[in-house]
Amino acid sequence: MSARPLLQLERLEMVYPNGTAALRGVDLTVRHGTVHGLLGANGAGKSTLIRILSGATRATAGRILWRGERVSWSRPAQARAAGIATLHQQIPLVGTLSVLENVFLAQPGGWRHDARALAVRLRRLMTSIGYELDMNAPVAALPIGERQMVGILQALAAEASLIVMDEPTASLAAGERRLVHRTIRRLAGEGRAVLLVSHFLDEVLALTGEITVLRDGAAVLSSATAALDEPALAAAIVGRPLRRTDARAAANEPGGHKVAEIIGLESPGRLAPCSFEVRAGEVLGIAGFLGSGRSELLHAVFGADRSARGEVRLQGRRVRRSPRAAVAAGIALVPEDRQKQALVPELPLAGNLTLAHLGRFARWGLFLRAGAETGAAVRAIARLGIRTAGAGAPVSELSGGNAQKVSIARWLCGPTRLLLLDEPTAGIDIGARAQILALMRELAAGGVAIVWVSSDLAELAAAADRILIMREGAIVAERHARETDEAELVLLASGAARGRPDVRAEAG
Amino acid sequence: MRTEVPRWLGLREAGVYYALLLIILALAAVCAALGRPGYLSAVNLINIVYQASPVALMGVAMTVVLITGNFDLSVASVAALAAAVQIGAVDAVGFWPALLLALAVAGAVGLLNGVMVQLVGINAFIVTLGTLTAIRGLVLVVTGGRSLMVQTPAALTAMTHFESGRTGPFPHPILYMAAFTLLVWLVLHFTTVGRRTYAVGGNAEAARLCGISVNGYRIGAFVLSGLAAGFAGVLYASRFGAMNPTALQGEELTVIAAAILGGTSLFGGAGSVLKTVAGALVLYTLTNGFNILNLGANFQGLIEGTVLIAAAAIYTLGRGSAPRRTPTIIRVESPEAVCHKTRC
Repeated sequence: MSARPLLQLERLEMVYPNGTAALRGVDLTVRHGTVHGLLGANGAGKSTLIRILSGATRATAGRILWRGERVSWSRPAQARAAGIATLHQQIPLVGTLSVLENVFLAQPGGWRHDARALAVRLRRLMTSIGYELDMNAPVAALPIGERQMVGILQALAAEASLIVMDEPTASLAAGERRLVHRTIRRLAGEGRAVLLVSHFLDEVLALTGEITVLRDGAAVLSSATAALDEPALAAAIVGRPLRRTDARAAANEPGGHKVAEIIGLESPGRLAPCSFEVRAGEVLGIAGFLGSGRSELLHAVFGADRSARGEVRLQGRRVRRSPRAAVAAGIALVPEDRQKQALVPELPLAGNLTLAHLGRFARWGLFLRAGAETGAAVRAIARLGIRTAGAGAPVSELSGGNAQKVSIARWLCGPTRLLLLDEPTAGIDIGARAQILALMRELAAGGVAIVWVSSDLAELAAAADRILIMREGAIVAERHARETDEAELVLLASGAARGRPDVRAEAG
Repeated sequence: MRTEVPRWLGLREAGVYYALLLIILALAAVCAALGRPGYLSAVNLINIVYQASPVALMGVAMTVVLITGNFDLSVASVAALAAAVQIGAVDAVGFWPALLLALAVAGAVGLLNGVMVQLVGINAFIVTLGTLTAIRGLVLVVTGGRSLMVQTPAALTAMTHFESGRTGPFPHPILYMAAFTLLVWLVLHFTTVGRRTYAVGGNAEAARLCGISVNGYRIGAFVLSGLAAGFAGVLYASRFGAMNPTALQGEELTVIAAAILGGTSLFGGAGSVLKTVAGALVLYTLTNGFNILNLGANFQGLIEGTVLIAAAAIYTLGRGSAPRRTPTIIRVESPEAVCHKTRC
């Protein structure tokens, strides 16, 4: 192609005000008419890079060359005007407006007045990518895959020459995924460039011409795709030596009795039938990327998913499918989003701690015993090392790690037999993370059965006993943690070739 | 002045009590200056509380609905319906059965509201706006648009005794209101039911994932609101032994205003029934003051609306959760001090 690349990043650095270095001198070159893959584990710096490219944040050091000229964007509108369109994971579309209105939403000028001309333009765009959509349908009525296409059309309408796609296929079904793949190829064929961020290694290998792998804020691999294969990518993504023995106690044989048995649990459109069991003292890891159905599985086990079908047995007894019955039976769920799903901001720390098993802190199940509540809170603060002003402190003032500890400690106030943890270490500092992993092992040692979802596959390989790998709403493989490592988990979760036969027959 | 004031004495926590005190003192001063003695007399103060009682009663239940994160516009219509049922039935079945019937009807409307909102999933504002209109229409249909009156003297005596009787210096409605408020306050603050009510409104998803029946608590709040409105309607009917079909029209806004003056959040999770009662007293103190000063009804709406917005503004500005974000004016001890600081 032309001598001058479309986009060049030189020694790009990003240090956040709190001192976190998200990017440590990244070089990246995207040429006209190519699809460039960007890979990396959680926290490698992909999101930061996308934010800088889309103009949402400014890099703290380094240069961005756009068509050979140095640029420095401070607002998303500037990046858009220059010709970069970004497709975020959550596409910001207006649900009540039509496809047509959404596609031209960001365009200057009064679209209301020349709707007919725009309709012609949209028709031409749709023909050019070979995909037809009802342009008058409200976006809220479209399935997720078609919404993704509206986002792509939006980028095309802006006549972007570089389209940044952040996990465009993570939550799509196979058919929709193929459609996005086809569109990406067409875009490159038209001479546009695509920067594709994806967890799916097979997808990246099939679509891209060049690949850059980020690890801990640095570009550790930059190469033509033809020279790479899946094991090489997985090794580059993982990189560091594995921390196999960090938190796990001496090899934990599944000798405990069977605590929970999940039989044919499924949820239409979310979860293919899943069956597995967890034993006392066992930490069962669930590996999978965004959209793999891992949270959906936990919610279904907990009875929080009303459309789920199937059986959950706890110590041989069938649990009725509702959160209330689950809590009564001794199942606990620590949800992924602490602020939205776990904590009640209006209640103090003690009130949040006792909420799930409040009856235990009340006389005749009705009259609260304030002393008992405070006592439980004080004990939990000491046991988990929660940094707070005290039992009466508002939970809104807790840091992420401490809020997570409260969300876990809530379930230590009652007779929890099966603990479901959904990304308990996401977004919290390394000290709190180690404490939470240690607590998890301690609870397991005390006989609790634990199901633990994490997208940090190194952490899973290090601290779980057994790992189920999920992809597209189904359990696709199972490994004993001692016999696997992060690289293999990446391969399995990203749907790449299976390294060796599964421990068990494939489910679903 | 940098003295730290305890949180519960701060403007945001106790502002409505200061406002009430301030208004009473101001009105007393004006009355004294104009040579109209007796504003601060026990008779007048008790009269204010008496007048405020039905609204305070409904306001307490409304506060519970608001705490669970919902909204009930239908209370005044439900009260009118209960009044009509009471007067319509009392001649035939006697006072107490009529009262139970009226409460049952009112509670059923509350249940309908709750089911429509929680189980069908329609927005509470729309559902209760609908019942506000429909129930008022039902009252007009039932009464044929004419005033209803109690016919038998015995029934009338029972009703007047229920409403106008006194225990010591206190008319009965004050006692009913106080007892109800105290009961709800105790339940909200000292029982698991109350704690869960706050949790449901504060974060419904978190409450659900803690095994709390979110629908149950929210529907229960609607039923409570219906019952309280029904009781207020019975009080109204009993006061006059008669009712006209447009009685209490627009009262729902006064009820909601009382709750907002008391600092109840429209987003759920926070609110105090004691402060709602204080809010109702603020509104009725103003009304009473206008009457005593012969200011006429024209000014009343203007002043009340202004007070409401001012109160909401204070609560909103004072909502900063982190201490450093809290404006300093919230930490000083009284409204006068606020004025001093901001040089108004």
